[in-house]
Amino acid sequence: MFVIFTDSDTDTTPEIAKKYGYHLISMPYSYDGKTIFPYEDFTEFQSKEFYDMLRGGVLPTTSAIGKEKYIEYFEPFFKNGDDILYVHFSEAMTMTFTNMRAAVAELSEKYPEAHFYTIDTKAITINSLVIVEEIGDMYISGKSLEEILEWAKTEVLCFSAYFFVDDLKFFKRSGRVSGFTAAMGTLIGVRPVIYINAEGKMVSIGKERGKRNALLSLLRYIEENGDNVKDHHIVIGHTDVPEEAEELASMVREKFGADTNIEIVPANPTAGSHCGPNCLGIGFHSVKRV
Amino acid sequence: MDRLINGVLFENMVKGGAENLYANKGIVNDLNVFPIPDGDTGDNMYMTIDSGASAPVQDGKNSLGEVSARIAHGMLLGARGNSGVILSRIFAGIAAGLKDLEDADIKTFGEALKKGSAEAYNAVSVPVEGTILTVFRDAVSYAGGRINESTTLDGYFTDLIMELRRSLERTPDLLDVLKEAGVVDSGGAGLVYIAEGMQHALHGGEITRTDHGTSSGAKSVNVDTFTSDSVLEFGYCTEFLMRLQSSKIDIDKFDINEFTELMKSLGDSVVSFLDGTIVKVHVHTMTPGVVLNEVQKYGEFLTLKIENMMLQHNETVIENRFEFRREKVRKKFGVVTVASGKGLTEMFRSLGADEVVDGGQSMNPASGDFIDAFEKINADCILVFPNNGNVILAAMQAADMYDKSVIKVVPTKTVGEGYSALSMLDTEGKTPNEAVEEAKEYTNGVVTGFVSRAGRTTEMDGVSIVAGDYIGFSDDVVYSDSPDKCAAASVLCDRLDAGSYDVLLLLAGKDCTDEEAERLYNELNGKYKDTEIIMQNGGQPLHDFIIVLE
Repeated sequence: MFVIFTDSDTDTTPEIAKKYGYHLISMPYSYDGKTIFPYEDFTEFQSKEFYDMLRGGVLPTTSAIGKEKYIEYFEPFFKNGDDILYVHFSEAMTMTFTNMRAAVAELSEKYPEAHFYTIDTKAITINSLVIVEEIGDMYISGKSLEEILEWAKTEVLCFSAYFFVDDLKFFKRSGRVSGFTAAMGTLIGVRPVIYINAEGKMVSIGKERGKRNALLSLLRYIEENGDNVKDHHIVIGHTDVPEEAEELASMVREKFGADTNIEIVPANPTAGSHCGPNCLGIGFHSVKRV
Repeated sequence: MDRLINGVLFENMVKGGAENLYANKGIVNDLNVFPIPDGDTGDNMYMTIDSGASAPVQDGKNSLGEVSARIAHGMLLGARGNSGVILSRIFAGIAAGLKDLEDADIKTFGEALKKGSAEAYNAVSVPVEGTILTVFRDAVSYAGGRINESTTLDGYFTDLIMELRRSLERTPDLLDVLKEAGVVDSGGAGLVYIAEGMQHALHGGEITRTDHGTSSGAKSVNVDTFTSDSVLEFGYCTEFLMRLQSSKIDIDKFDINEFTELMKSLGDSVVSFLDGTIVKVHVHTMTPGVVLNEVQKYGEFLTLKIENMMLQHNETVIENRFEFRREKVRKKFGVVTVASGKGLTEMFRSLGADEVVDGGQSMNPASGDFIDAFEKINADCILVFPNNGNVILAAMQAADMYDKSVIKVVPTKTVGEGYSALSMLDTEGKTPNEAVEEAKEYTNGVVTGFVSRAGRTTEMDGVSIVAGDYIGFSDDVVYSDSPDKCAAASVLCDRLDAGSYDVLLLLAGKDCTDEEAERLYNELNGKYKDTEIIMQNGGQPLHDFIIVLE
């Protein structure tokens, strides 16, 4: 038997996790001296409350989870004789997987029979979520571990996400987007569009003037880079701009047909701590990421 | 003898390193652009190594192990700034590697330096490559790999310094902030000077220490860079030494990692470590009060320093501007624009302008003003945005007279056009002509409206103008007149069909009160539901409001 894990940075909620049978690892964020583990310290993410707090000037930080925490997550399954497949957010964005490997190394001494596999979605939030859900589908339909790992080798990079940002302050502070520089300037009526590249890093790929043009650009990216879009999961993620998310969804339906299945999720607070409020993005099946 | 290092020699070397860093710390200070400047790296590193080099000798304890421990402890007490703290950890690691030794051969010494590198990485919560950490690690690894039977201390240091310099040159490739600023990492540069001083001490006798003073109190801080309207964006650089108190906690059970996590939850750029019962912390935080209260639950402070980083930040940006000229790091593109008013000048700077020439409608700058601005920029091509019809000619004339850079004038006629072009322009990978064409495209369809006080009573474009009233006009056509500036602006917006544009940028002038600006902003927001309205304090003279529609 193998069990599947993912983490909250992929925008997987307990509800989504339950649907596919995922076990959820909580990635924390901190502010005012408090460290908060999503879905462990609260049951439902209050998106509006959280992003309003960021609008009010709070700049949360995020941190890696420790080895012990990983052991807590994994040990019961190894003990039970199960193998683990962990579908996680981009290793290129974090230090946390060093701790994970230390935990697994310790556990495999204790449980030499246990096997541990990972799939790096080379992405975060909605871009990871589309991959997590596709793998979830395969898991439910009884696909073998080998089949899933084989699929991931080619398919992980065939899911893309494009999103725009409203306030560069958050990214500049966290340094998580390599293309952002002082030269990029302040945002005054202009929204940079960000893409997660094949290395699993966020890069800025252009700017759009005004909200309307930013929305249109997202639609343009799906049209230009989408591949069998309707046969796969499509996820729109936002940091507390639900109306704009709905607007984008109807724009996509208008283009791809009223029966297009689109899931709308609030971006998880840990990733949201880096991009700030008023961001909107879409994840979909695409030509290979570069 | 030239293959053994003892306590006296090591002490001399550290003193030599301190002296050489002192002589060059101005250069190191000027490199300080990373990541959010938290003080001057050269000064901080000097104060750190100085407090190690001048740590008092304790009754004849002269073995290498004792001397290195004394120096490391001195640095711990004196460490300042991110690079200073890291430097002190390097020496702590070295001391650990030399513990209990009377003297050491090159191999042992090289291993101790590697320990220093590892210890430095450990002290930083999120190590960043392209910094002092990388430079030191590369150098000790390179020099260590070249040690053989015939290696002398001098030869070892020659290798070490060579790789320090090479690795330093590579730092801009690892860190975008450095590349963009056209500088190498400042902490790494400090290390080079220290190592060179150490090598120099190998040749000489005793180093005479000059008392340069280590007080930072004399450092001038320009408090005007943080005004009553400033927004605290970068927080406070907070540093302290704290002695754990057995009355407060069980010191044996104190876990520095847990403590570091606590610090990370309160701020970032955390560097912290434990030495005996002393905890040293460097943290950038928005709420130093919270940090202090939390920390005091563990012990009492020995030293404490809190600085508003916004003050330093502004200073450093200015220093960095000089650096461009001196370091001959030539950029592909530079930008000169014209504006008057503090807010507008700041806006253009933050949009990427290297120089903002003061001027505009009320005072047209001369060609000489442009040339002065060009002189300050080291770029292959300088793009000029005159932002006023009456200024374009002077800019073009200056372009003809200047030959150290290609000067391209983008003939923007209003501040609005200049804003539009600059906020969207991306010069990356473009030729000068392509950049100009792109900039021009962004100005297409941009409409700029102005609200100013009328000087005389007359009739224009079918509008009755009363002297002393406010008139709204755009492209020399008058659209509105009202005794109330907000009403004049509001009618002007209607006449310009503001609701059909994506973005409306409202720039409040010098004579405009916050209340007036707020009132107009709210009114426009209520009126034009589909337009994104952004208000900025432009501070421009003459025009009570500038309205940019795009």
